[in-house]
Amino acid sequence: MKKSIKWSAVALSCGLALSQSAYSDEGLFGYVKGAEPLPKGALDFEQWFTWRGGKDLGSYNALDTKTELEYGITDRFAASIAMWGLGINSSGLMIDAYIPGDKKYPWRPDGVEAAVKYNYLTPALDDFGLAQYTSLSYFWYDVNSGYRKNVYAFETFLLAQKYFLDGQLVWAGNLGIEADSATRQPIQGLPEDFEWPLTPEMEIAITISTGLTYRIFSNWFVGAEIFYQTEHETVVGQERWSLQAGPTIHYAAKDWWATLTWMPQLVGGGTPFPGQTYNQQLIEKTSQEIRFKIGINF
Amino acid sequence: MRGIPALIIVPAALVVPAIGYATEYLTAPQAQQIIFPDADRFVDASVDLNDDQRSAIEKRSGVRQRWKKQQVWRAEKAGEFVGWLIIDQVLGKHEFITYATGLTPDGKVKGIEILTYLETYGYQVRNAEWRQKFVGKTIADPFDLNVDIPNISGATLSTRNVTNGVKRLLALQQLMLHP
Repeated sequence: MKKSIKWSAVALSCGLALSQSAYSDEGLFGYVKGAEPLPKGALDFEQWFTWRGGKDLGSYNALDTKTELEYGITDRFAASIAMWGLGINSSGLMIDAYIPGDKKYPWRPDGVEAAVKYNYLTPALDDFGLAQYTSLSYFWYDVNSGYRKNVYAFETFLLAQKYFLDGQLVWAGNLGIEADSATRQPIQGLPEDFEWPLTPEMEIAITISTGLTYRIFSNWFVGAEIFYQTEHETVVGQERWSLQAGPTIHYAAKDWWATLTWMPQLVGGGTPFPGQTYNQQLIEKTSQEIRFKIGINF
Repeated sequence: MRGIPALIIVPAALVVPAIGYATEYLTAPQAQQIIFPDADRFVDASVDLNDDQRSAIEKRSGVRQRWKKQQVWRAEKAGEFVGWLIIDQVLGKHEFITYATGLTPDGKVKGIEILTYLETYGYQVRNAEWRQKFVGKTIADPFDLNVDIPNISGATLSTRNVTNGVKRLLALQQLMLHP
C-alpha cells in the first residue's frame, strides 16, 4: 500500500484525539452488532476504520471510515448520527458498470447516516437479547470505485445476543435487509464500448452474521465472526454473494473500548469480472478486510 | 493481500498502552467493620471447595460456583458468633466486581458492600439504597432483577451477577459454613 502514509496520518490524528479523551454502545465484534441497550442519557462516540484490499487484478486499496455519535433516549431506545468517509487507491482495473478506471484520493467524506436502535429484550435481564437497528443513509461516492454515485439506502437488522458463563462467553447474531437506490454520475472520456448506465438501479441485500467471543482475561475478549451477504438486483437476480469469516479481539476499559477484526473473504460468487481467477466475489467486495473500531463513553 | 496497512496498526498501538488502573473503594477490613460494626474479632474461616461441593452449591442456588476457594471470616463479638463475612468476586461486563457480603447465623443477608467496581455504567450498585434491597433476604427469596432486586440500566450484567452471587453465598453458608 504505497500511499498509506496519508491515510495513516488521518488515522493517527483520530487515534491521538481519542486516546486523550475517554468511549460507545460497546462493539464486542467488528461486524456483528450486539443487542445491549445504551442507557438513557448516555452519549457515545464511535470511530471505525475499515481497510479493504485485493481484487485479484490490478491494485486496489480502500479505507472506509465511520464517525458516529449515539445517544440513549430511553433505556431501550437510542438514536445515532454518523458520517462516512472514503479513501481509495485503485489502478489497473476496469469493470463494466462498476469500476470505470483508476482512482486515487486519501480521504473524503462520502456519506451520512441516521439510525435508531430499539431493545425488545435485554440479554442480561431476559436471558436473551433482541433489538432492532434501522438506518437511513445517503452516499455521494461509490465505495467500490471511488467515483461519484448517489446512493439512498434503508436497512433494518434484528440483533440477537446471549450471555453464557455469567457473561464470560458472548454470542451475537444479526439478520438484516438493506434496500438501496443508486444512480451513477456521468464520466467524461470513457471508452465507447464501456458500459456505464446512468439510470437508477434498485438493489436488495440480505445479511446474516454471527459471532462468538470469550473473555480470556479481564477486559480482553477473543472470538470469531462470520458474515454472509447476498445482493439481488432487478435485472440479473442474485448479483453477488460472499462469505467472510475471521478472528476478532476486543478490549474494554471503563470509559473506552477498541475492537480489531480481520475478515477475509472465504468464498463468494455471482457475477465475476473478465480475467478473474479467485473463487470470490471481487466486483463489489475484496479479498481482505480489516476493521478497527474504537468507542468512547462520555 | 499486501500486508496489514499502517493505518490499522497505528491507532491500536496508541490506545493499548493507555490502559491499566484500579479503584478500590473499600478494603476487606473496612467492609468487615461496616457490615459487622459491633464485632471485635474476625477469624479466617476460608473454605476450599471440591467439585462435588461446587456442584452442590450450584444445585442449591441455581448459580455456578466459579471459585474453588472462598474467603470467609467468622465474625465474633466478645467471643460470641454473630455472622459470616464473605469476600466474593463476580464478572462485570469488563472486569471482576469484588464485594463483601455479611450473613447472619440464621441465614439472612446482613449487608453487602462493593469493594471494587470498574464498569462504564451502573455505579448505583454502590448506592446504599440499592444494596439495602438485599438486607434480610434468605435463599428462599427469588433474587430476580426487577422482581425483588431493582435492575440498574446500563449495568444489567453486573447487577445480575452480584444478585446471583449473593444467592450463591447463601447456599455456600447452608452447605459449607458451620459455627
